[in-house]
Parts: sequence; C-alpha cells; structure tokens
Amino acid sequence: MPMKGRFPIRRTLQYLSQGDVIFKSSVKVMTVNYNTAGERSEGARKFVFFNIPQIQYKNPWLQIMLFRNMTPSPFLRFYLDNGEQVLVDVEDKTNKEITEHIKKILGKSKETLEKEEREKKKLSHPATFGPKKYHLRECMCEIEGQVPCPALVPLPKEMRGKYKAAMKNEA
Amino acid sequence: MSVPRGAVHAKWIVGKVIGTKMQKTAKVRVTRLVLDPYLLKFFNKRKTYFAHDPLQQCVVGDIVLLKALPERRSKHVKHELAEIVFKVGNVIDPITGKPCAGTRFLENLSDSENLTEADTTYLSEKLQELKVCPTDK
Repeated sequence: MPMKGRFPIRRTLQYLSQGDVIFKSSVKVMTVNYNTAGERSEGARKFVFFNIPQIQYKNPWLQIMLFRNMTPSPFLRFYLDNGEQVLVDVEDKTNKEITEHIKKILGKSKETLEKEEREKKKLSHPATFGPKKYHLRECMCEIEGQVPCPALVPLPKEMRGKYKAAMKNEA
Repeated sequence: MSVPRGAVHAKWIVGKVIGTKMQKTAKVRVTRLVLDPYLLKFFNKRKTYFAHDPLQQCVVGDIVLLKALPERRSKHVKHELAEIVFKVGNVIDPITGKPCAGTRFLENLSDSENLTEADTTYLSEKLQELKVCPTDK
C-alpha cells in the first residue's frame, strides 16, 4: 500500500533529517509571503512545499509563518534577536537557489556545526555502561568475545557462585 | 542568573491581531508549525498572546511583531507591540514600497490603463448619449 498524498516522501524522517539549513540562534521568526498562482512565485511555492518541513524539523524553535496572496511579489523575511530584519526577494528564483541563499546568509557554517557535534560527543563517555539513553551499551555481555548473558546461555559451572562457595566449603 | 529580556521563552513573535476590546492591549494569535508524530506532517498550532499596545493602533486582522517585555506587565501581558508588519486593508509591499492588495498593486490603478476594448467602446457610446446638443431643448 503506497503512502498517501502528492509527494509523500516529504513526510519521511529520512527526508526531513536531510535538510541542511540550520539557522543561527539569533534568528527567531521566518515569514514567507508567496502567491498561489503566477510563475514568478513558482520557486517560492516549491520552497514552501518541499523545503519548509526540512527547515522546521531542523530548527524546532524557529517560528515560521506563511502568508498567501498578500503582495504581488514573493519574499522571505527573517526577524533576528537584535531587532534586525532581513528581507530576501525570491522572485524568479528556484527553490534550490533560495535554500542556498538563506543557508549562506543566516545558516550556521559547517565548522560551527562540526564543533557543536564534537562538544556534544565530549559530554558522554563511550566506555561506560548503563541505560540506552545515556550510554552506548548496557552490559558487557553485549560485546562479542565477552562472556554471553546468563539469561540466554547458562554460565559454566566454575563461574557460578553456588559452585565456588561449595568448593570453598569443601576445602 | 541574568534575565536581560523576557521572563518568557518567546522573545520575538509574529502574529495576527484577533481582538482589541481591551484597553491598550491587543489579543494576538500566533501560529507555529508542529510536527504530528504519526503523520509526520506539520500543522499550525495556535496560541494567543496578549500584547501591550499603548497607542491602541491595532485593528483586528493586522499582522504584528511582538517583543517580549523584560518583566511581566500583568498576569497575562508579557509582550509589547514592536511593529505592525502588515496593516489590514493597507498592505505595503516591502520590496517595491507600494501599496498593494492581493496580487495587484493599488498605485497604478488609473481609469485608462486597465480597460479592455469592449469597456472603452461601451463607455464612449455612453458618453455620446450624454453629450449635450445645442439643438435639444
């Protein structure tokens, strides 16, 4: 049974996580004004249809507002934290060009993203064991080459505490 | 811990005015896109905020930009009106600076330009009828 809708791939987690526009933390609101008809607004329409879900997925705290058929010319407007507003004219641009442009002007650079990822990795130590939420592995028995989990495979007699205690009492 | 602005998470928000019945306060509806976890589609989720509007210049239907106040003004009012982005009935296109409505500019609406052939012939006929002839009484 295929997925419902026109381009249902837009509704997959893999597609959403493929968005590469991550805005700087000073960008608070993004407003898109576009028209539902007319070929000058075509790129803006495609942008709203394909790229806005990706952007919102990657920037969950960004407020995105869409306005349809309010002005003849399509544009994007960003409201930054210091009160600044950035107006981006998107008339006669394809949606790819629009995403490239906003990534260049207001997106986090690759170095910043890599640095953030490294910082995040530093917080958790990969060699510890514990709940899946905080550690990579839960128990030593998960690793290949180590003693398997006694829940699945009974331990050999010599390792069981019952046997060891009996041997000690005997001696 | 310093709180330079906003005892509130949302520092700048854009919304639509839905009520101005309170004195110097505007009721603003703000929509955010929220992902539905099963459908994986974004839907608008609305929330109303109250904003301080000292000059009472908001009309129902304006699109406004709100700024978070440094501390709460009253129990519900935590924002103030920073700027009216689009005034209802009087939208100015920011790229050209001209007033517009829908997908048309309002500025160059002159009588002669947007009329079709049929319109001009009809109008000229009517004008002929109205012409005052000196022979008539």
